[in-house]
Amino acid sequence: MKPLISIKSGGPASWAIRIACALAVGYILLWIPTRGSNSLIDTATTALTLMGAALSLNLLLGFTGQISLGHSAFFGIGTYTTAIFVTRWGWSPLKTLPVAFVVAFVVGAVVSLPALRIKGVYLALVTLALGVVFPQFIKWPKIAWLTGGARGLNDTGFKFDKNNRTYEIFGWNPWGNLRGENVKPFYFWIGIGIVAIIYLICRGLVKSRVGRSLIAIRDNSTAAAVMGVNLAVTKGIVFGLSAAMCALPGCLTAMKGSVVTPDTALLTVVGSITFLIVMVVGGAGSLWGPIIGAVVFELITEKTSDWVDPDKIPSLIRPIFSWSDTAPAGGIFALALVVLMFVAPLGLVGLWKQTIARVVSVVPRPAGSGTLDAPESSAGGIPTWRPQQEPPAGDEAE
Amino acid sequence: MELFLQRLVDGLSEGSVYALIALGLVIIYRGTGHLNFAQGEMALFSTYVVYQFGEWGIPIGIAVVLGMAVGFTLGAATEVAIVRPISKKSPFAVFIVTIGLFQLLNWFDGAIWGGQQLPNSGVGSKQVRFPSLFPNAPTDFVTIFGANIKVQSLGVIGLVAVLTVALFAIFNHTRLGLAMRAVAANGDSANLVGIRTGRVLMASWGLAAAIGALGGVVFAGINTNVNLGLMFTVFIYASAAATLGGFDSPGGAVIGGFSIGIIQNMAAGYAPKWIGQEMKVGVAFLVMLGVLLVRPSGLFGTSRVERV
Amino acid sequence: MTLLRAQGLTAGYGPVTVLHEIDIEVNEGEIVVVLGANGAGKTTTMRAISGTIPRHGTIEFQGHSIQKAAADAIVRAGVAQVPQGRGTFPELSVQDNLLAGAYVRRDGSKAIGDDIRKWFSVFPRLEERATQRAGSLSGGEQQMLAIARALMSRPKLLLCDEPSMGLAPLITQELFNVIGRLNREEGLSVLLVEQNANLAMHMASRVYLLETGVIVASGSAAELSADDSIRKAYLGF
Repeated sequence: MKPLISIKSGGPASWAIRIACALAVGYILLWIPTRGSNSLIDTATTALTLMGAALSLNLLLGFTGQISLGHSAFFGIGTYTTAIFVTRWGWSPLKTLPVAFVVAFVVGAVVSLPALRIKGVYLALVTLALGVVFPQFIKWPKIAWLTGGARGLNDTGFKFDKNNRTYEIFGWNPWGNLRGENVKPFYFWIGIGIVAIIYLICRGLVKSRVGRSLIAIRDNSTAAAVMGVNLAVTKGIVFGLSAAMCALPGCLTAMKGSVVTPDTALLTVVGSITFLIVMVVGGAGSLWGPIIGAVVFELITEKTSDWVDPDKIPSLIRPIFSWSDTAPAGGIFALALVVLMFVAPLGLVGLWKQTIARVVSVVPRPAGSGTLDAPESSAGGIPTWRPQQEPPAGDEAE
Repeated sequence: MELFLQRLVDGLSEGSVYALIALGLVIIYRGTGHLNFAQGEMALFSTYVVYQFGEWGIPIGIAVVLGMAVGFTLGAATEVAIVRPISKKSPFAVFIVTIGLFQLLNWFDGAIWGGQQLPNSGVGSKQVRFPSLFPNAPTDFVTIFGANIKVQSLGVIGLVAVLTVALFAIFNHTRLGLAMRAVAANGDSANLVGIRTGRVLMASWGLAAAIGALGGVVFAGINTNVNLGLMFTVFIYASAAATLGGFDSPGGAVIGGFSIGIIQNMAAGYAPKWIGQEMKVGVAFLVMLGVLLVRPSGLFGTSRVERV
Repeated sequence: MTLLRAQGLTAGYGPVTVLHEIDIEVNEGEIVVVLGANGAGKTTTMRAISGTIPRHGTIEFQGHSIQKAAADAIVRAGVAQVPQGRGTFPELSVQDNLLAGAYVRRDGSKAIGDDIRKWFSVFPRLEERATQRAGSLSGGEQQMLAIARALMSRPKLLLCDEPSMGLAPLITQELFNVIGRLNREEGLSVLLVEQNANLAMHMASRVYLLETGVIVASGSAAELSADDSIRKAYLGF
């Protein structure tokens, strides 16, 4: 089928769409903290947390073609770094962000090095083990003096006080009231800041020369060897970076909550799987995938959280869900993961691109016009892990 | 000496569970090259099914056999309906699908048998009491060299030993076993000697899930109850066992399972302050890392595991 | 009597078509050789017949269509393939490889054991290594094993994909002698694919010349060698 509309990349129509999208996003970002209800701001902040974590996971997938099931541990390293520095040494929470970044980087690089030397799903296995070990490690009596053990740490976030400045702009303060009366918008903006940092790092790497060559050699270790790249070290660095970025939303969790325990859901394997779901549902391998995924994930989770009560389920779909008193979101997303692999392996973003391609065709500018207009999916697309049993390598391989 | 013996037996009885789950992982890996992340959760589902049969008044022995049959069906159906079609796309897709199944099964267990979904490492989830396969009253022990050994531990070890021997007899002396080994060695050639590879893979997944079901039941029995987080750490131990033994070696999986069981029990027992109950799983993690660093193919595996 | 008849056989990999409507026949008791250079489509022909890749056209074996049959059903029907590059089961012992070859047989372990002994007597070197892993054998031994394994299913037609590949001339000669003897003594029909025209022509009843997926000439070995232009262009002697 021929697309109905065709748009020239870089032409006026394309710019109009971009500007419209940017305005819409900007409007929503301002609307939520200023006009949204407290619970909406909370939901949005959680969505931002997931966004940051899923974006970090996506960077790893895009550049090394491997998956981590241990990012909950790096997330947790962020949470605990902030919690420990704030409660034990009285640091200001924002200053703990770079510390968490460095700690998670080092741990990530060290853990990943042995596993990255092996092909296939071993990294996923080792990191899964890391995800399981992390909460246990926090509970370890030997370091309980630092981490608070199983009971966790209290008062890990910001301390607001009545004398704080409020930074009003003509009586309007989109970041909330920093005197402690209305601080939820403040956390929202920290979340925005963290996601923006992570997004820019990812985008910068994807579009840089280093990033492109990394993608080029991702599935071809021979090419890497020929190019003189030490793949294990390079992958270790990428893994460390991914881990470091994942720690930042973890810090936010400590900043906004008053209690941190090792059994906080996102710090356990549940977190790792959640990040993976967010990434894959949104669209693995595209920069916008995790962002869309986080919004969809958090919206559905929030909307269905009270479905434990059959009366709260919309009557049209009540028979499907009323048999259980468990919130359905976990099942919905698990099913979505399986179904998406069949119908749209590139997630919602991939689905959207497929659909839009039927209606609108974007005509690329002629080559050499010299702008960095790489396709969004250049964060790698879905890597094809080499199957264990090689398919017949063409005909007549004499 | 008594303490050592007790820890050894405890390690062996827990290790036998890891051996069973690891054996399932290896059977599937050999056949298809896929790592089934849902292996533990498949076992948990079957364990809940056995619990349910027990609630309906079916004797535990029969319930276990029925549960294994349910496990077999679940595994075989998963291979045919989900894994086989998806594996034509990419190994990545298979990986995601097994994670999806992990989450789906766990959610489903929670939805039917109660408890919040995916508990935080088991904390806070509803537990249901699970019967032991063997006598397990406080008085049910035998004294060997002064050590009081639980009858249950001995029963578990014996049961798993018998099952392992039976499995290896199947591998080495039956048509199905020959077909499974042939498919593992070279799927295309297996097809060319008339083996229906599809059916063999289906049977492999079924067998793996059935063995896993027994592992789940045994572990729930040792644990005296079953909850949604039961298999999380077991799966880690089993993966460490399979890594240690070699992912393509069934014998290695069994030896690896017992070794991991003994190592973690000894470590936790002899260094209660340093390792204790909290860091038992950390020991398995270190073993896994160490094996991958030093000998990626494991103790008994062939070097089919490629290095980058 | 015609054993195998393929007409309009078209096959390839994914979007790439390698074979273009070729016709091949094998009569009972014949050794038919398909000659062709690299990339001519020889292996594809074999795979198309043995059902390991999707194909179009009609393929009949003993008068029954096997066009829709899966690879394992074609083995059951009596067509065994010795794949290119031998394709033994490296982790299995030589003995188990042979047992796997008899997988489709239902005539009891005694008959199968007799057959194993028979092929051991034909290939004594396999007997010496009966309990070794197939992966530890030399190239020539693996090729013998691959042939013996295929014969374990008691096929009526043996498909041989370049048995000479990577083997020393003497060993190749030995293998070809065995194939020739089986043909003469047991009436085994063989469809053989080769690059090594010189060797294969000697034992061929009939020859097909394959070039980029099309059959460019066919006939008896004598006819083809008699045609100067064909001999120079394709046979190289």
